[in-house]
Amino acid sequence: MSRTLKLILAINLLVLAVLTFAYPHLMVGPGKLIPGHQQLDTDCFACHAALTGADSTKCVSCHMPADIGRKTTQGAPVLKPLTSTPFHQELISQDCVACHSDHAGVKRYRLQGYFDHALLKKETNNQCQTCHKSPTDALHKQITGNCAQCHTQQKWTPATFEHNKYFVLDRDHNTTCVTCHVRNDYSRYTCYGCHEHTPANIRREHIDEGIRQFDNCVECHRSADENDIKGGGKGDRGKREAD
Amino acid sequence: MKSSLWRGHVLPFTVLLGLLAAATLAGDYLLHRLDLVWVGRYLGIPGTLLIIGSLYYSARKRKWVSTGDPKSLLKMHEFGTWLGSLMVLIHAGIHFNAILPWLATVAMGVNVISGLVGKMLLHQSRQHVQGERERFQLRGLSKTEVEQAVFWDAVALGAMAQWRKVHIPIFIVFSVLALGHIVSIFLFWGWV
Repeated sequence: MSRTLKLILAINLLVLAVLTFAYPHLMVGPGKLIPGHQQLDTDCFACHAALTGADSTKCVSCHMPADIGRKTTQGAPVLKPLTSTPFHQELISQDCVACHSDHAGVKRYRLQGYFDHALLKKETNNQCQTCHKSPTDALHKQITGNCAQCHTQQKWTPATFEHNKYFVLDRDHNTTCVTCHVRNDYSRYTCYGCHEHTPANIRREHIDEGIRQFDNCVECHRSADENDIKGGGKGDRGKREAD
Repeated sequence: MKSSLWRGHVLPFTVLLGLLAAATLAGDYLLHRLDLVWVGRYLGIPGTLLIIGSLYYSARKRKWVSTGDPKSLLKMHEFGTWLGSLMVLIHAGIHFNAILPWLATVAMGVNVISGLVGKMLLHQSRQHVQGERERFQLRGLSKTEVEQAVFWDAVALGAMAQWRKVHIPIFIVFSVLALGHIVSIFLFWGWV
């Protein structure tokens, strides 16, 4: 390689190196920064730490976790919050880049606006109503708490609840939830919440039929249809007395 | 003669270059279709390693290393750089983010074209030095030694030497730009 060519090469590469240091956002930055951070365009180390990437401790020096969703970095109240309830205060760790990307080129590979309940502190994670309002439909307005019985934390729907699988709410049983599920506890039920079924009546009727185990009504009765009674069951539950 | 030039030189050159372009587009399309765009992001690493590995031939040619059949190493150099370039091209994708990596990609493209021109010239040189074979045989060299002597003569022929004056500076530009991109990624990316 001739000396002139080497010199031309060296000058060109030097110019590129100078441009890289003068305009890092254009030369090496993976796309534009979000509008709120555009003043940091040429100051990569405002957010990045050498060899370890974007550093959360640098993020929280401006975005104090206690103020996120409540106040701006200038201390003014947030007028149009992005979420109905501030939740950053309840996160188990301050790993900002796990959810946020500032460069357009990086955002393309990340799911934006994704929230995972697993990031919340355990004590907050089970208190759905701290962040969510209960729906106002006929079913939900009777319920307080215990959302996880039917809903998962990944998606509101599909919910697993299908009452007919356990008991058909036909015309005789079209009543409020608390009639059977006392204190909105859907892990239990009672058939004695109704004047029709009293413990004494039920006991007498079953003993007359030779049935000695009748504590779990829905094991045999899946609806009000008296012709649709499933006998037997596990162990001696619902079992008739031997002749 | 015209037919020989077309079949022996222009066609292989066009096919290899066209195949590179087609494979890049197909790879990019498939990654998007299969929702595996993130794979493309990391293809730059094996691509770069393949290109670096294929430089073993250059070291062998300059006698920095003495092991390995030069003919096979050249084939490995041609294949490794072609496949490595394909991976880097898919890695670059169609997204324009920063200037430096794109300059490196363009330099790599020019390097690939230059390499294919070199391959074409080498083929021509080989035909030219076939007459030398008998001379080496008369010297009492073994078959392997004759093959190696003919090969080195071919790669050292005038046209090849002239071509190398272009190919090496292009490679230096490409490697410096690529190095700049790699250093910036190491510096700003969260590897830990």
